[in-house]
Amino acid sequence: MPDLDVCGLPPPEPFEKIMQALQTLPAGATLRVRIPREPFPLYAVLRDTGYAWATTPSAEGNYEILITLRP
Amino acid sequence: MKTASLSTAQAPPISVPLRFFAIAPLFLLLAAWILAWGDDLSNPHSPALLAATHCITLGFMALVMLGAVQQILPVVIGSPMPAQRWVAWFSFLPLIVGTLSLAGGFLLHEPALLNLACWLLGLAFLTFIAASLISLSRATAQNASKNALWLAISALTLAVTLGSLLAHGYANGLPLNYPQLALAHIALALGGWVTMLIVGVSFQVVPMFQLTPNYPKWLSAGLPPALCAALLLFLCSRLLESAPLGYLAEALFWLLAVSFATITLKLQSQRRRRVADATLSFFRLGMISLLLAALFSLLAPFSPELFKMSAVVTFILGFALSVIHGMLYKIIPFLIWFHLFRGGIKKGVPNMKEIIPEAWMWRHLWLHFLTLLAALMTLYWKAAVWLLATGLALQGILLCFAIVTAITVYRRTLTGMEK
Repeated sequence: MPDLDVCGLPPPEPFEKIMQALQTLPAGATLRVRIPREPFPLYAVLRDTGYAWATTPSAEGNYEILITLRP
Repeated sequence: MKTASLSTAQAPPISVPLRFFAIAPLFLLLAAWILAWGDDLSNPHSPALLAATHCITLGFMALVMLGAVQQILPVVIGSPMPAQRWVAWFSFLPLIVGTLSLAGGFLLHEPALLNLACWLLGLAFLTFIAASLISLSRATAQNASKNALWLAISALTLAVTLGSLLAHGYANGLPLNYPQLALAHIALALGGWVTMLIVGVSFQVVPMFQLTPNYPKWLSAGLPPALCAALLLFLCSRLLESAPLGYLAEALFWLLAVSFATITLKLQSQRRRRVADATLSFFRLGMISLLLAALFSLLAPFSPELFKMSAVVTFILGFALSVIHGMLYKIIPFLIWFHLFRGGIKKGVPNMKEIIPEAWMWRHLWLHFLTLLAALMTLYWKAAVWLLATGLALQGILLCFAIVTAITVYRRTLTGMEK
């Protein structure tokens, strides 16, 4: 599963890096993103562009998001 | 892959926040004009000082804050305001005309203008408060910013109610306890709405844009309710007209404010990218000013009139305006980038740092610092009011220039680049 850690990057770099990673994501694969806060604007983009996602908060205060292209 | 675009149901159109930001600096020019030509500025209740203060707090600060909240809600709690364009027009226009009426009513001693201001400002804030409460009640996100926003909007509701009552009473000669009501109005507006909103937004914006560690959980969870408790205690002290309870509430409020400022400065010293940044410096000036305002408040028993005025000036110009300027210089470039991306621009989207020249932000920072010094000098040397007025006017012009530059970059990119 491809991993992407965008912690420590200023806006809009996390958003840009996630969109770049999704462009090269193989069909059926899942992208795992580690991000310091819930990216609500990203969810709207994912919904509009046909992706499904699941967000889990981590113990250290970050979030892990699993993103997959909806069939 | 489909073209990425941000849902319009999620983010308000760029014209919504930008119209608030573009008009707000003009009120700094108006405040400067009133200060330069107003009479009896040594009296804190003089019509000219009341008019100029409300041009800054309502005309500049509230316009920026109302515009920013409409943009911040979907980003911070994932829940946009309903009917965003309608809410924008019904809060934007009445707020502008209402502030002009209020300032005119104070300056001309004209009850009709004050009554008109009550209706217009009531409409503006009622629209904004109702839309904010709907957005907050719909949000599924659970974070400290959401709690602070709830409390900020609640404080704003009470501050507006008391402000309307004061203006209505002043216009129609009602027998009210004006000193106590004015104190409660100021506490709710500055200590409640302004402080709580800055605190709540800082919990997200400081770590996100300044790359600092997160605020400690005990602070983000405990500070908003503790600030609320201090304000309630202060309101009780005004109702009971109890001086000791009032001192206790003020001491608690300033202790909490000092904790927030100190921890923010400490977090900023631990940021990951140690490069000079004008917006960070605006924020730091804001936090240092908050500490100074607390110090002036502590010294108030020695010379109540002088130190209380110093605390208010340092709080409004030093803390609130510095943080607002710093946030504007981050939010506007981010918005431009965000909406160009939403528009489907694939190439030629400018880097955020290229949208407003950093050199202008530094010039504005120094100008703002000198304006703050001039405002404090005015308390000791009345002629310095000309320096204060000049500083405010130049800041209004600089900010207008920065916002127009950003809008020009947005329009040029949108029309000139390949989609």
